[in-house]
Amino acid sequence: MSYTLRGRLETRLAAALVPFLVAAALSPVLHKWWPLELVGLMLAIGLALDAGLYHRLLPYQPGWLALPQGLLELGLTMAAARALELNAPLRPALALFAGAWLLLQLLAHAGLPLLRLSWPDDGGELGRAGSTLRVAAPVALLAVLGIAWAVEPPTVRLAAGEHRGPLVLDHAQTLVGEPGAVVRGGIVITADDVTVRNVTVIGGRHGIEVQSAESVELEEVVVEGAELDGIHVRRGQVEIRDCRVRSLPGAFTQGIDISFAFDLRPSLVERCTVVGGLEGIVTHFAHALIRDNRVRNTELRAITMTEMSMGRIEDNDVAGAVGVGIFCGDYSHCEIDGNAVADVAPDLSSGDRQRQGVAILSHFGAEAELRGNEIVRSPGGIAASWDATIEHE
Amino acid sequence: MPPRVAIVGSGLGGLVAYATLRHGGLLAPGEIAVFGDRGHPAAAWRPRAEAIRQRLMRSESEGHCAPTSFPGLAAREALRRRDLAPLVLSVCDRYRPTVPDFLRHVDELRERSGWDESLVPGRVERVRTVDGGFEIDGHGPFRHVLLAPGHPGLARPPHLERDPRAVHAYEPHEYAASVAVVGAGMAAATEWLNALAAGAEVVSVRRREPARRPLNVARHLFTKRGLAAFHASPRAGRAALLRGFGEPSYPPGRSWDAPVEQAVREGRFRVEPEPNGVAQVICATGFKRGFRHDALLARLVAEHGLDTEGRWIVLADDSTVPALTDRTRTLSLAGVPAQWAFPAADTLVGMKVAARHFRRRVESCPTR
Repeated sequence: MSYTLRGRLETRLAAALVPFLVAAALSPVLHKWWPLELVGLMLAIGLALDAGLYHRLLPYQPGWLALPQGLLELGLTMAAARALELNAPLRPALALFAGAWLLLQLLAHAGLPLLRLSWPDDGGELGRAGSTLRVAAPVALLAVLGIAWAVEPPTVRLAAGEHRGPLVLDHAQTLVGEPGAVVRGGIVITADDVTVRNVTVIGGRHGIEVQSAESVELEEVVVEGAELDGIHVRRGQVEIRDCRVRSLPGAFTQGIDISFAFDLRPSLVERCTVVGGLEGIVTHFAHALIRDNRVRNTELRAITMTEMSMGRIEDNDVAGAVGVGIFCGDYSHCEIDGNAVADVAPDLSSGDRQRQGVAILSHFGAEAELRGNEIVRSPGGIAASWDATIEHE
Repeated sequence: MPPRVAIVGSGLGGLVAYATLRHGGLLAPGEIAVFGDRGHPAAAWRPRAEAIRQRLMRSESEGHCAPTSFPGLAAREALRRRDLAPLVLSVCDRYRPTVPDFLRHVDELRERSGWDESLVPGRVERVRTVDGGFEIDGHGPFRHVLLAPGHPGLARPPHLERDPRAVHAYEPHEYAASVAVVGAGMAAATEWLNALAAGAEVVSVRRREPARRPLNVARHLFTKRGLAAFHASPRAGRAALLRGFGEPSYPPGRSWDAPVEQAVREGRFRVEPEPNGVAQVICATGFKRGFRHDALLARLVAEHGLDTEGRWIVLADDSTVPALTDRTRTLSLAGVPAQWAFPAADTLVGMKVAARHFRRRVESCPTR
């Protein structure tokens, strides 16, 4: 293909329409502006490269070049997103970019040549539709991004050093800790659309407490020495990523507890390291996805999904638990896939036959579906009790 | 209602134009008349390809006759074979459709488009302007006419015209024990390999070294961007550019070079200025060039005083004849006589460009 400059820009704008609409639909659903901002950024970088680089260097563009171009644009977009602190989660952002890139390829190779016979001859130009697009698209984009920018929750910087808690976050905001920022005495979140990133929390009754709040994101937080739960969520919907929670030894503590949120969107716990406590990660009456976490040295159970919870426990690494590794209980429905469970020790002091080193336990009417779990040195193996079922696939 | 749109020429250029006009239901078969002396659109092309034992097309995936560039021949082959290889080759500009695949596509398009319903048999001698458009050998009037007469005949070097050893590459032939191939383009290169494969000793007779490029002209000259400078050049400059584009060339690649290199080592291939004492002379010298060799075009120019430059009829950038085209009527050229507007007009992509411009004229005509 040999694009004219106008053809490049019009084709780029036409291909951005669908991702833009998808992002416009996603943003209110997620209560986040990053999809729109990311699409805007992708488009801006693409247009800049079209005008400044591609047009000069590429009088003719073979099809295979789309791949290195895509990688270049991906790198620049992600770098810009980071610099501008869009706070876009990596996987969804990559998926959005990949989808938009794929759509551009489909349009350029199939869609536009079918819709407009002379599209290849015209160097990618779209005629009158293209002219309209060139005028309307930047106006629409600037308007939406401007609104997004204006109404986005403020970002609050937490300076390095110790801050006395409890810190109460009762309106939408993004709290970003500078390296070395520590809150002693806990954080309490009571508002929707709060993000806490890169903050260390020490002590407190609960390390981070989320009460009746949705679209809460906790990223790269470190929680240590809470009296009860490291992260305590009640009637809330959260996404917790890349956290580290260390519970006090011997105390009646839990690493992460998400409870009483069955009517809310699913919560997520991903790539966290949870050490110590009675239970590592636990849900009661909630929807949840618990994946890619490391859970170590728990005294009751490593991962628990109970009291009519529903969700998936996948690709977690569990080791050194006493009694039970992964527990699906009390009429919960659990998909338990690809977990590695090792060294679950019998709880000899309890006298409970169901706590004798069981790697995966389905209990009291619960239904567990198992796929590809790896179990090592756990004498109780896989078990079901009290009308609970286990289905292997 | 009689047809108001006519295509003169029933070869591949005619089929491309016909399919383009039929696309999306713009015109029904009864609204188009196709004048030509051959029923099958590949009737002229096929014997030439067979004569040089052509197996692969020089064109790529988009070298087909369908109105939309997608799906190209690579996508069609990938679908038929359930194999992604043609698509991968295509994005790397390495895909060449086979001649049988191309001919199959022509057959399908002929069948699907209703081509035979619109065919008016016979060779057209004269196109002239009348009230309401153009009259074609007494038929009409037609408001919009596209002339796709094809190449005006095979070119032979004058000194070989009466040489009993000489045969044109595009005429049926076998290979003698010693063969001189005159020319240096794609057909000549194909004949070198054919004659070598047949065990002949080959002498390449050429005035200049051929260029090595995948397509007839540089790729960017197939689209608007590359054509901008060409269209902006003054008439004499444009004619000079066209003469330059006509230099002999054939694609690069080991499949072309290796047999020749092997034959050079064996003393079976050499380059000489004259055929000298060989048993057979193959004239791979292409076609006669210029509108004057085409009786229909020469008469059109003479009777209407059309503007010409050298061997080309001067056309507007959309392949129309300016003096005979206005808001209510169109006379367009497609194929080799349309080079003034599009240097690669004699390629399938070039024919599509002319056809799309013609379709646009037909679409926008208030009295279509």
